[in-house]
Amino acid sequence: MVKQWSAGVVETLLAAQGIALAPGRAERLARGYQALLEASAVDPLLARLELDAVPTAFVLAMQKCR
Amino acid sequence: MSDPALLSLAEARSVPPRELLQACRARIEQWQPRINAFVEVEANPRGAGVPLAHKDMFYRAGRVSGCGSKIRREWVANETAVVLERLDAAGFADLGRLNMSEFAYGPTGHNEHFGDCRNPWNPDYITGGSSSGSGAAVAARLVFGALGSDTGGSVRLPAAACGITGLKTTWGRVPLRGAMPLSPSLDTIGPLARSAEDCAILLQAITGDDAVPEKKEIRIAMSSAWIERNAEPEVAAAVLAAAKALDRSPAEVEPPDFDTLSAHCLVVMQAEASAQHAQWMRERPGDYSSAVRARLEAGYAIPASTYLEVLRLRHAALERFCARALGSADLYVLPGIAVRVPTREETGPKGGERMPRMLADLTRLTRWVNYLGVPSLVVPCGFDSRGLPLSLQLVGRPFSEALLLAAGRAYQRETDWHSRVPA
Repeated sequence: MVKQWSAGVVETLLAAQGIALAPGRAERLARGYQALLEASAVDPLLARLELDAVPTAFVLAMQKCR
Repeated sequence: MSDPALLSLAEARSVPPRELLQACRARIEQWQPRINAFVEVEANPRGAGVPLAHKDMFYRAGRVSGCGSKIRREWVANETAVVLERLDAAGFADLGRLNMSEFAYGPTGHNEHFGDCRNPWNPDYITGGSSSGSGAAVAARLVFGALGSDTGGSVRLPAAACGITGLKTTWGRVPLRGAMPLSPSLDTIGPLARSAEDCAILLQAITGDDAVPEKKEIRIAMSSAWIERNAEPEVAAAVLAAAKALDRSPAEVEPPDFDTLSAHCLVVMQAEASAQHAQWMRERPGDYSSAVRARLEAGYAIPASTYLEVLRLRHAALERFCARALGSADLYVLPGIAVRVPTREETGPKGGERMPRMLADLTRLTRWVNYLGVPSLVVPCGFDSRGLPLSLQLVGRPFSEALLLAAGRAYQRETDWHSRVPA
C-alpha cells in the first residue's frame, strides 16, 4: 500500500536537497507521485520479489532471454 | 537526372559524394525554414561520404554540443562519441547538429531555446521527440540517416510521427560513451533512416556486426482486441492490416501490462535524470524550460527503496514478457503511437488541461520497452485522414535487432509507405 503524499512532504524533501520549487508546484508534484507510485505498486511481481534479486540480475536475464 | 537526395542510403553509396552533398544542401535550404530540423549546418562537413547528421547530444571533440538546452548552448565537447568515431571510420559525412528536445527530456519536439522542430508532413503537428531533428531531417530527405537516443521512446516517436524507420537498440548493445546521459539504466542509441535496410547499414557501422540475414518466415504475436479497444480507430486499422501482411495467422496473446511497466520505467527515468541534473537544478533552475524543470523536480522525492525495487524487478518482468507475450513467436507487434499524431499547440505550453493526458497517450506504448531493455523497430504503415503518418512497432527479444530489421525489410518490400516523401 502506497502512503499518501502531501505537498508539505514533497516540499521538505526537495528543500533538503537544495531544490527550490515554484509556488503551487508541490501540490501538483504530490498528486503526480501518488499516481506514479500507485501505478508502479500494482505489479503482482513485486509481492514475490526475491531477497537475492539484484539489479545486476537484469544483465544475466538479457543473455538468458536471447 | 532525378534528385540524388531522394535515393536510399544503399543506392546513394554509388553516387559521387559531392553530388550528394549538393543535393542535401539544396534540400536543407528549402526545408530548414519550414521545419527547423538543424541547429547548425557545418560549413565544411567532416568526411566525404553519404551525408548524415545527428541529434545534438553526440559529442565531437572541439565542437559545440548544445543538447537542446540553454545551459549547454555554447559547451564544447572534449571527446568524440564512440558512435561518431565509428561512422567516421565507415566513411559517412557529418553535415551538422540536429534539433532535439531539451536534454532529451520531452516526447514532442518542442524546444523553447532553439525553436520547435516541426513535422515535414504538416508543420502544425509535432515531430515527436526527443530526437525531433533526426526524425524531421530524415523524413524531408535532408540527410540519408541520423542517430538518435531512446530512453522512453525518443527514437521511435519521431520515426512514427515523421513516417520513417527507427530502431531502438537493446540496452547495452551500442556504446554510450560520448553521448549525453539522461537515464543510464534506460539510455540507448539507434538509427533513424528511410527504411529498415538503411537502418541496418547504420547499425552495422555503429556496432561492427555482420549484415542482416534474410529470414523466410516470421512469426508474430499480438493482442488485437487490446489494440482495437485502446488505439484510435485509424491507428488500429492500419496496424492490424500491417500485422497481417507480416504473418497471416499471428498468435493472439494477452498484452503485457503496458501501464505498470511504463510506471516502472518512469520511476527509473525520473530518479536517474534528476540525479544527473541535481547540480544545475540547485544552481540555475531558471535556465531550464518550465516543462523540463517540472519533469526534473519530479525525481527528487522518489524513495531510493522504490527505485531499487523497480530495478530489482526488471529481470523478472523481462522473463515474463519473453515467456508470455512472445512465447514461441519471434516478434510482438503493436502501434508505435496509440493515437494519431497531435498538433504542436495541443501538446505545448498552451495545451491546457488535456495536455498531460495527450503526452501520456503519446508514450504509452514506448516506455515499457525501455524498462525491459529489448529492441524495437518502428516502420510507417499508412497515413491518417489528415495526412499524418501511422506506424507499426515490432518488439523482439534482447539482441534480436537483425530479426527486427529483416521483418521490417520484408514488410517494406510489400508496401511503399516508407518511400513516400513530404511535398
